[in-house]
Amino acid sequence: MVHPLREKAAVSGIGETAYTRGTHKSALALQLEASLAAIADAGLSPRDIDGVVPYFPGGGIAEDFIANLGLPDLKLSLFVPMGGATCVAAIQSAAMAVASGVCNHVLIAVGRTGYSGARVSTRLQQFPQFALAAEFEAPIGIFAPAQLYAPGARRHMELYGTTERHFAEVAVVTRQHAILNGNVVMNKPLTVEEHHASRMISDPFRLFDCSLESDGGAAIVVSRSDRARDLKKPLVTIMGVAEGHPESPASIAQRPDLLEFGLAKSAPRAYEMAGVGPKDIDVAEIYDCFTFTVINQLELLGFCKKGEGGPFVMGGRIALGGELPINTHGGLLSQGHVVGLNHVIELTRQLRREAGKAQVKDAEVGLVTGYGDMGDGSIAILRRAA
Amino acid sequence: MSTAATPAAPERPLPTPTRESQPHWDGMREGRFLLQYCSGCGKVRHYPRPVCPHCFSMESEFKEAPTGGAIHAWTVCHHPFNFFFKAAAPYIVALVDMDAGVRVNAPLRGVAEADIKIGQRVKLGFEPVNKEVTLPFFVAG
Repeated sequence: MVHPLREKAAVSGIGETAYTRGTHKSALALQLEASLAAIADAGLSPRDIDGVVPYFPGGGIAEDFIANLGLPDLKLSLFVPMGGATCVAAIQSAAMAVASGVCNHVLIAVGRTGYSGARVSTRLQQFPQFALAAEFEAPIGIFAPAQLYAPGARRHMELYGTTERHFAEVAVVTRQHAILNGNVVMNKPLTVEEHHASRMISDPFRLFDCSLESDGGAAIVVSRSDRARDLKKPLVTIMGVAEGHPESPASIAQRPDLLEFGLAKSAPRAYEMAGVGPKDIDVAEIYDCFTFTVINQLELLGFCKKGEGGPFVMGGRIALGGELPINTHGGLLSQGHVVGLNHVIELTRQLRREAGKAQVKDAEVGLVTGYGDMGDGSIAILRRAA
Repeated sequence: MSTAATPAAPERPLPTPTRESQPHWDGMREGRFLLQYCSGCGKVRHYPRPVCPHCFSMESEFKEAPTGGAIHAWTVCHHPFNFFFKAAAPYIVALVDMDAGVRVNAPLRGVAEADIKIGQRVKLGFEPVNKEVTLPFFVAG
């Protein structure tokens, strides 16, 4: 039986601000600027938006969207509190809302002052999902995601022989892709040697294994597919979408297997909903809070076996022109950190054939992941249906 | 009042015990490693919480648990992310499979980074940081 949600919803509009380090704008202003761009890209008026999922915390809430965009009749307001898995998981909520007829056009929007505002080590302590980490781990010196995720990366290295060279490959290829995109924070080439020479943050993560702290906004509009068909841009449908929550979701420390997280549950469900498998994927935008996180997710997505993610990324396989081009926009590592909504935007561009110099030839089907909090994992599989 | 303000010494982040976790922290203060055991099925759980996920009992008791364990993974924190830890960096934090069946994340002392291995035996120690709070650390053991 075909899943009732398959291709019932589409990504109809995409928008983003400049990605910078330093801005005078508020997170809310960035979020609204990107929202207006996404709505215009869809060929809609702000008045058409009747559902909103703001990234939270940071930026605005539904009330801000009503007040600023003059929304006449907002029918759905949601938060999806999954950290970096939020944006892709929100696509599932938005798809359900439009497929069921509750809404016509749902806006998902992020505004972030990750460089000019609160930085990562203080920001996270405010999340309710991080209460246990704040009680048991901050006092012994563990504050930031780099420190929370590093032991998993170390264990992967010890068990499977994954190396710093594998990490570097992800960083270097991602940078190569960023340079092809006009709107990025990091626009100079990066070498393997420069990666290895960069300062250690939390072993085994060096500076260039870590995503950026940057300022910017991003937004998308999700519409019912039959409505999106009449809009401005080529139709990009949502074939499959899922969110997954790991064991011990609020403490990585207590998780039985540090290398199994939400994506292990959500990926099989999304593939089944979409009716496709890893072999059908032409391009993948993988949430890259850390280089290693990409390697780990490639395994959970079924592109290679557990433990083989390191060798898998080598030899040009993940670069443009390779077997599985990933993060063709530069990702969180080199483009900017808007909690992965830039990954959804890039995949949509790829499938519309609007990706410019980074265009994957004849891209028909692609996937995008989100990874956040303490290992929540979300995935969407999109298709060019134009 | 002086206009040239001396920066305040950074304060150590401290746990704020909850109604669930208070007995654990009380035990730490007394130099006893107390873990929460389900009164229904006897299984241990950490960090403390109201319901047993195995049998759904809300009754539990805190009992003294063995302090030995084996290293599961680790990190070496070079960038401190918090001013209090600046002087201590780089410091090793080990994630340990306790013999009691839970994990504990705590600083590892007296072991060189190059010598750490998965499965290495360690023992939990108690470090009072003020009158109320005692935090765990690990040494080879």
